[in-house]
Amino acid sequence: MIGVLKAMATTMKRAVGDNTFTVEYPEETPEVSARFRGVHKFSQERCIWCRQCENVCPNDTIQIVTDEQRNGEQYNLHIGQCVYCRLCEEVCPVDAIILTQNFEFTGDTKDDLVYNKEQLMSVPWYKDIDPLESREPDRGAWIGEGEGEVDYQ
Amino acid sequence: MSAGFGPLLAAVTLLQSNGATMLPEWLADVLRLDGLGVAGTAIAALIGAFVIANVLLINAALAGPWAKRKIAAAFWGKLGPNRMGPGGTLIIVADALRMLSKELIVPEGADRPAWDIAPIIVAGSAMLGFAVIPFGKIGGVQVQLADPEIGLVLVFAIASVTSVGLVMGGYASKNKYSMLGSLRAVAQNIAYEIPLIVSAGSVVIFAGTLQLSGIVDAQTETLVSVGGFGIPAWYAFVNPFAFILFLTANLAEVGRNPFDIPEAPTEIVAGYQTEYSSVYFVLIYLGEFLHIFLGGALAAVVFLGGGAGPVLPGPVWLIVKMWAFFLFTQWARQTFPRVRIDQLIEIGWKGLLVLAFANLILTAVLVGFLEGDVEFAFASLQVITA
Amino acid sequence: MSTGEEQSGDDAGEQAIEPTEAKVAELQSLLGDHVLDTEEHLNAPAIVIRPDAVQAVLSTLKEEAGYDHCSCVTAQQYPDRYESIYHLKKYADPTDEVSVVVPTARDDPTSESGAPVYETASWHEREAYDLVGIDYDDHPDLRRILLPDTWQGHPLREDYDQDRPQIVTLRENANPLLEDHRGSEEEGESDTMFLNIGPHHPATHGVLHLETVLDGEQVLDVDPDIGYLHRCEEQMCQQGTYRHQIMPYPDRWDYISAGLLNEWAYARTAEDLADIEVPEYAQVIRTMGAELCRIASHMLAMGTFALDINGDFTATFMWAIRERERAQSVLEELTGQRLMFNYFRLGGVAWDLPSPREDFFELTRDFLDGLPEATREFHDLLTNNEIMQLRTIDTGVIDPETAKDFGCTGPVARASGIDYDLRRDDPYGYYDELEWDVVTEDGCDNYSRLLVRMREVEQSAKIIDQCIDLLEDWPEDEREIQSNVPRTLKPERDTEIYRAVEGAKGELGIYIRADGTDKPGRFKIRSPCFSNLQSLPAMAEGEYIPDLVAALGSLDIVLGEVDR
Repeated sequence: MIGVLKAMATTMKRAVGDNTFTVEYPEETPEVSARFRGVHKFSQERCIWCRQCENVCPNDTIQIVTDEQRNGEQYNLHIGQCVYCRLCEEVCPVDAIILTQNFEFTGDTKDDLVYNKEQLMSVPWYKDIDPLESREPDRGAWIGEGEGEVDYQ
Repeated sequence: MSAGFGPLLAAVTLLQSNGATMLPEWLADVLRLDGLGVAGTAIAALIGAFVIANVLLINAALAGPWAKRKIAAAFWGKLGPNRMGPGGTLIIVADALRMLSKELIVPEGADRPAWDIAPIIVAGSAMLGFAVIPFGKIGGVQVQLADPEIGLVLVFAIASVTSVGLVMGGYASKNKYSMLGSLRAVAQNIAYEIPLIVSAGSVVIFAGTLQLSGIVDAQTETLVSVGGFGIPAWYAFVNPFAFILFLTANLAEVGRNPFDIPEAPTEIVAGYQTEYSSVYFVLIYLGEFLHIFLGGALAAVVFLGGGAGPVLPGPVWLIVKMWAFFLFTQWARQTFPRVRIDQLIEIGWKGLLVLAFANLILTAVLVGFLEGDVEFAFASLQVITA
Repeated sequence: MSTGEEQSGDDAGEQAIEPTEAKVAELQSLLGDHVLDTEEHLNAPAIVIRPDAVQAVLSTLKEEAGYDHCSCVTAQQYPDRYESIYHLKKYADPTDEVSVVVPTARDDPTSESGAPVYETASWHEREAYDLVGIDYDDHPDLRRILLPDTWQGHPLREDYDQDRPQIVTLRENANPLLEDHRGSEEEGESDTMFLNIGPHHPATHGVLHLETVLDGEQVLDVDPDIGYLHRCEEQMCQQGTYRHQIMPYPDRWDYISAGLLNEWAYARTAEDLADIEVPEYAQVIRTMGAELCRIASHMLAMGTFALDINGDFTATFMWAIRERERAQSVLEELTGQRLMFNYFRLGGVAWDLPSPREDFFELTRDFLDGLPEATREFHDLLTNNEIMQLRTIDTGVIDPETAKDFGCTGPVARASGIDYDLRRDDPYGYYDELEWDVVTEDGCDNYSRLLVRMREVEQSAKIIDQCIDLLEDWPEDEREIQSNVPRTLKPERDTEIYRAVEGAKGELGIYIRADGTDKPGRFKIRSPCFSNLQSLPAMAEGEYIPDLVAALGSLDIVLGEVDR
């Protein structure tokens, strides 16, 4: 009986105390980690069309189309199929594809989630955070991977 | 439902009321329906029933879609409904629209008339119980539809009609989970009805009457006065043991945690109500909340002085006490694991029933000695020794 | 720099050469002419036996050599034969392993069943039959387990047409509305009731289907029907490269916040397979992250167990979720994600601790500081609550011998008094350098399983605390988070390895056979939930329905990991 009463006291203590844990999204938006991986952002100026992201992607989310001279024509990414593993960002030698903190995206059909080059370029930063900048202290860890011994094909 | 039976009961028992004017009488008087004879009384009772039923419906509407969520949110550290209207109260309207606009799905092979009647019985029987609950007095008017001499027995009888509804619904749904739920409902109701009535019986010994208004009147005296602040002679203070027994049995009677076995969402999906949707589900849901409030009203009338309380009028106090009981059920819901069906039956038959009888007999002995009725006390003692 | 794991691995390797040969010779003399050949797997010696002597060999190994833990059965097809591999271990010493290889002919893949010896082999063999198509003689119940009964062909065979879709129409499934008198002896004259619990039921923790026969409220017979969430995880891993593409997937096996623990299972196996060293600093970070995941996972397990017993979304569940959220916030700072981390890399981790490091330490310490109060509340609400005790003590009992027979591991085994924890018994990461205890309880019931999880949370907090201390004092120039790993890994052809780590639910093992390319030839996951779920009938039969539900909750299964 003592345990039962103690349990009742425990719940009531929480109920009368101020212990609200949830927030009122979207009025109050969550702080996400600098490392958070959201929708991709693509930079055509940087991209050298080396196709490493396409190759490393575990589930064929990225599709790149080039002409005979290996000039890039299309860069399509299915953000609904993506598993947000960040391997494309990790493998990119020129930081042309970055996973922003932006997690707010919708589509009425699956096809709406296939982003082409232009859509990927216009993905907004979440709260104006440039992940490249916020992650900077750690980037050396994987950019410098292997120190020259790495085989980039 | 109360509208159907209310007037009859009112008509039968009008003559027996004493002291203050009863609500139907007063209505007949104010609306000048006297000239119509019995029909006038019936119409007045009907209006009275309508008013009381609507007050209860408003309470149930507040409790179900809104208060329950808000209370749960407080326990969970969440906010609860807050987008629709002030404090999220318009969720009631939204929920009602949502529920009523859903498709009514009738399971294949359902036992049709029984399946349709069951929700009405569940909601109706809970509502009907309020016909005899004395809500207290406003001015000289006793807000009560009927006050039969056997009021307490009647209200218990009506409340247990609910289980008939549960069994009908569960059996007629042609679903094994519903079936299990309805069987559990019966087992549980039988096991807890008896301790409930017996623990209330000890109050009857004190009050010497089964009439609910009489029980309330018997609690108006002051038990002890502490520094000019009188503690009323509510039976919860006079006989707290019986009050605890009554509360526990009442929790089981209304099927709330830790005794929500007939529904048992994680075990048998939703028990007897598994197959109900749309309007029928609303009725059952409504019935549940009305049932909780009826349980609260009974606890208030029998143990907590009915509508007694300072400043505010009687009906307000009774509703406050009903809500206190509702809060208690929600508190228990957040805290307690559900007991198993066999444990529930065991607690009912071997625990509560024995305690309730012990309490009843001890009360009888005490009351006998206190009132100098030695013969009565002696007879009670004989029962104990036997 | 050599790591704790590699050190122990190397030591074992150096010392093991002699003992392994001695062990093989001893086993050969024990088994006599049942042995056709011996092989060497990276984790253990393998003995190749005749397909008609499986029971004889396994029972000798179990009874006389003490291999009482059949952790996994892997089946695969070679160009010239089919093979079933029984990975045997000892509960007392999981580093003492032996693999029993049973080759069968390509045109008639039939071998004797090991199920009469190890109960757990029953489901594993059903899976092998289902996916690879090996027939097991003398198997008590050789049915398909993951795929529907009407499925055509065996998907892991070479001649199976993987491009031809097979759609199992609703009509071909058993109609749940039809009369079903399973379990009754005489047709029509039964007082039992057949009840489908699931696949959509509030208490099945996913899409699990329990075929239950009831006598009143009592459970006479229960048969778990799995496979609704079969996502070909093993085959997806077979299509990914070792170096990068496999790592995102382990997060999705047990998707209930045990991500890093799962990633570690793959990382450990692949690192041992490709002989990759992991820097010590990375091992500390891994250990810390894995224990955070364990706390998150155990919190959810406690919460859902309370939910199963309370029967409503009640305070306990919500508070448990809240503690889990706190653990996830720490993990988000570390890995970037709350559930699907993809944080481990072969040879280390993807990121160092977030900077400023002090903020991260403070966040983690805050979380740890809040834990004792939270656990005290859970003790008040659950373990010290008389109603909870009434419900859980002496229900869902499984005695240690039966638990071993079913291959139970993790909290389920430890609650039955089996002192088995791979973190201590087969050390990896940084565990053997830290101060912590393996929690066991002797109750064998639902209550013990709850208690074990609650006490393990305390131990995990202790480990994290020590890791934080270590990381705080780590010299700045030695913070190496990844060793130098080649971009393409091609382990030698026909290297085979089975390695396991202690996941949140138990022994999470992975078997990999390399085929000389940069992708695994065969990738097999030993899911702890799969084996634990198999023991449900032993716990629940004869109990009431509520206890069946409670026992299921106490197993803490995740269907994503059961069905893979």
